[in-house]
Amino acid sequence: MDDDTETYILLLLSDSNLPTGSFVASSGLESYVKHGFASSSSSAADATVEFVRNSLSSYARSALPFVSDAHRAVMEYSSHQEMDGKEGVGTDKSLDDILKALTDLDGLYQAMTLNHVSRRASMSQGVALLTLYSKGFSRPPTLSAFSGAESRDHESRMQILLDQFKLKVRREEVFGHLPICWGALTAALGLNLERAQYLHLFLHARSILSASVRLNDLGPYGAQQILLHAVRPLVATEATRCRNLRTGLLDNSVEGFDEAALGPANTWPLGEILAGRHDLQHSRIFNS
Amino acid sequence: MPEPQLSHITKLRAGGGCITVSILGEKAVFSELSSTYPLKLLSQFIQDTRAIAYLLTYGGGLVSGDEIGLVVNVQLGATLILLSQGSTKVFKARPGKRLASVKSQHLAPLTLHPKHPGARTISTRQNLDFHIAPRSILLLLPEPVTCFRDAHYRQSQRFHIQGDGSIVILDWITSGRISLGEEWAFSHYYSMNELFHNEKRIAKDVMLLDKEELGDHLLPNRSLRERLQPYSCYAMLILFGPEVQSVIAAISARYDKISIFKGVVVRMAGIETEMVKGWLREALYGLESIIGVDVYRRTFP
Repeated sequence: MDDDTETYILLLLSDSNLPTGSFVASSGLESYVKHGFASSSSSAADATVEFVRNSLSSYARSALPFVSDAHRAVMEYSSHQEMDGKEGVGTDKSLDDILKALTDLDGLYQAMTLNHVSRRASMSQGVALLTLYSKGFSRPPTLSAFSGAESRDHESRMQILLDQFKLKVRREEVFGHLPICWGALTAALGLNLERAQYLHLFLHARSILSASVRLNDLGPYGAQQILLHAVRPLVATEATRCRNLRTGLLDNSVEGFDEAALGPANTWPLGEILAGRHDLQHSRIFNS
Repeated sequence: MPEPQLSHITKLRAGGGCITVSILGEKAVFSELSSTYPLKLLSQFIQDTRAIAYLLTYGGGLVSGDEIGLVVNVQLGATLILLSQGSTKVFKARPGKRLASVKSQHLAPLTLHPKHPGARTISTRQNLDFHIAPRSILLLLPEPVTCFRDAHYRQSQRFHIQGDGSIVILDWITSGRISLGEEWAFSHYYSMNELFHNEKRIAKDVMLLDKEELGDHLLPNRSLRERLQPYSCYAMLILFGPEVQSVIAAISARYDKISIFKGVVVRMAGIETEMVKGWLREALYGLESIIGVDVYRRTFP
């Protein structure tokens, strides 16, 4: 895929109007503020930046390995399909294999996300992404004239894969967690891994800032300033630090997987406590 | 699944150990209790089907390069209570290259970087594997881990629960030797707890607390202390299985809905370790009927 097309997809995916449910998630910020942690900072902006830094760091370390593995798996499936050509030999089997890989990743993410608030938010945003793909990014027959036969073929295979995965979510065979769905969606759209990782972290940070605006802690202008000047280096740092992390599920190398160095982990214990306490707030406007 | 048993004796390495508790007649017995330096196991006493063992380390702490590998089997119908004597102290890590030259000192700051395989820190490790048979109970209630300045510690615990086995796991860490002014001054702490029920993974918790080393200068570096204060103790408690349902119900009632996999995961933070201890003593009161009044008071004085 050429750079312009990728940039165009980035623009589409970073639209804050996308119906992915991220506007109802504060990723623990609401709980953080309600529990009085923000008031120990000198200003609301400092408190928000501090929260974004901790939250993003822990999220990158724990979720990015899943984005990367889901993305790699779908990319591999996609390129295999192209090499196989049109015969369709072994297609069912490779479809089953990729679905199993995604299901395993999803199961591990569920086992590693040990509070019900984060799980709930992750699942609702994950399934929203799958819906977004089938309803918002698929090519309607009326627009088929804008593509060649080969890309239509590729699109329809990706469509089948994501629809099958979504069906499994409906049947409650899988949970449909956000990092796995994001990795699969971006790979299906042809976005490269580095950009998919970067955008995922950016969107996590931006949704925290928009939550901060809705909570009336920051004004919309102040949030933009933070987004440009403070969040950019944070996202860049975490994207670099975590780009090679893996879950270990897809790596069957002989020497074994160095889980402590490369595997997912939480890095902010207070964040886990705050997320777990979200539902204990007397009133709340976000679902996480 | 066949229970891993006595065969471990032959395989014991430095820091290795094995505990097997089984039921003989009506009474628990340690059918195996073996360990090698620097790990030491102490069987305290046996009361009906309950057995208590203490995990100790010679000299009261673990140094860089120590690697504890313990296999624990709690067999059908037995209850094992594993405690530690005092907190697990982890001493400062030394750099991997132990050359007497000044040059090697320069390697030390790089040692945490996975991208520099040549400069490895020798960490302190503990790997514990637990096998909990049907109708048996494991209570792992050690004192918290205390990592000293520049310590590099990795702990992995895997729990294989069969059928209606039950477990209580407490995993906690303090900020260091506060009396010496150490507060979150260690360099690396990694703790992994993975639970399998009938071979299926039901929970996996990984906590990583390490110094951030940022590659560029866009951001000011921030100490671990800044990230973890004002608390000086973080704890995690996992309860699972039919024998601890009443305790789970009591905790769940206090905190609304925190049960997530038929078991429960509770996380705590305290300004002082004693506050966390106090909370645990209260929240786990229901365990008194399982482990007995004496043991309960000893564990939560």
